[in-house]
Amino acid sequence: MSKLRFFALWLAVAVPLAWGVAKTLQNAVKLFQ
Amino acid sequence: MSMTFPEPVAEGARGAGADSFLDRHRTVAPRDYNRFLVPPAALAVHLSIGQAYAFSTFNLPLTKLIGISHSAPGDWTLAQIGWTFSIAILILGASAALFGRWVESAGPRKAMFVAAACFGGGFLVSAAGVYWHEIALLYLGYGVLGGCGLGIGYISPVSTLIKWFPDRPGMATGMAIMGFGGGALIAAPLSLFLMEHFKTATTNGVAPAFIAMGIIYFSFMMIGVLAVRVPPEDWRPAGWEPPAQPKKLVTTANVLVSTAWRTPQFWLLWGVLCMNVTAGIGVISQASPMIQEMFSGRVGPAAAAGFVGLLSLFNMAGRIFWASISDYLGRRNTYFVFFLLGILLYATVPSIGRQGSIGLFVAAFAVILSMYGGGFATIPAYLRDMFGTMHVGAIHGRLLTAWAAAGVLGPVLVNYIRQYQIDGGVPKAQAYSVTMYIMCVLLFVGLLCNFCIRAVHQRHHHRQSARQ
Repeated sequence: MSKLRFFALWLAVAVPLAWGVAKTLQNAVKLFQ
Repeated sequence: MSMTFPEPVAEGARGAGADSFLDRHRTVAPRDYNRFLVPPAALAVHLSIGQAYAFSTFNLPLTKLIGISHSAPGDWTLAQIGWTFSIAILILGASAALFGRWVESAGPRKAMFVAAACFGGGFLVSAAGVYWHEIALLYLGYGVLGGCGLGIGYISPVSTLIKWFPDRPGMATGMAIMGFGGGALIAAPLSLFLMEHFKTATTNGVAPAFIAMGIIYFSFMMIGVLAVRVPPEDWRPAGWEPPAQPKKLVTTANVLVSTAWRTPQFWLLWGVLCMNVTAGIGVISQASPMIQEMFSGRVGPAAAAGFVGLLSLFNMAGRIFWASISDYLGRRNTYFVFFLLGILLYATVPSIGRQGSIGLFVAAFAVILSMYGGGFATIPAYLRDMFGTMHVGAIHGRLLTAWAAAGVLGPVLVNYIRQYQIDGGVPKAQAYSVTMYIMCVLLFVGLLCNFCIRAVHQRHHHRQSARQ
């Protein structure tokens, strides 16, 4: 249960953050095009 | 360990009412609790309130509420909208300073809940302001109410994390404060998506987007409210003992917040944070026009937006990177790196601009912004080293007034000096050179403040407490 809680919590914050980083990198690529 | 809430509490503490779930004593973790369950709770709050950095995505749509596709007579101006963010940052500093002591005594769960209610509620009040086209409601909602959510939310997990990670306080607070930098990366695309989703022929979707964001952020911050725990009294990580011979600037005592802010160390640290933030925030506020004007004809608005995004990324990454490094380098040495490297980079930027090297220009500002974020993330651990853990959250709250001051000073310096240069006939591409040299001077002042920091005198130590 503890492991499940650990993964659930970290996933809950990591997924939106990863989405934001990916979107930002997509934009940043335009700087070097 | 159980997934259910709330945890068992002492007899007599039960039945105290619905709000008792939020009380500090209900958040005390068992001794074998996995401390790595706490940083995501802090991140849930900081990733939410970090939305503030992306508020500018609403600026233009808010100037077209009547005209929809263009600004019509009666629409709010950009200058009027700009006050919303300024009020929010000012209230952030004020509320962190005012409520810091309360946050310490109420505990992180209650503080996070209040922050979630204020921040989410701020969006709802702002939505009403947009719906009725009443700018006072926007100022009151996002500026005042949201600003309280920002201030209380920002400091709420700091002392808890420091207590959970006495062996790595820099890394722990860096993880949380990284979230504040990362919040903008999520909020910018989310805001654009929501406005596009709710857009109709008669509305540009700002009001429903505000409502949705209020609900989303309140719910997301509640993850932090539910998950946060404080360590039991005298808890230590397994196998860790405090060093027998602490470093020169690391105290083993505690200083009360009421005493701390009267010490020279507090004001020197205030100067350190203010100068470091001023140098970075000025660039953030002007990043897009600056790169377009310095590389005129080579960098357009889309590429400039990419540059701004890249700076946000380094702002976020610098928070965890530099704060973690500070656990090994020491806080004072880490700030020496910020100031010395910052001076070197700012002094080099004008010649990089003249050479026309976009790559070097981006790299220089990426490092500068990483140190801007690093400054925010390292300061709580610096405070803990100087003043102990007992009131570190409250002391941190008062120190954040330096952020509010820098939030005014930085953009004003960059904007006015640039305009003065242009009015004096300097080409736009070179109008930032003087600003860069002024940033060097500010960083030098910060360097001097850092240089003057010595350990807090024993007469300021709180006698009845000893740090774990």
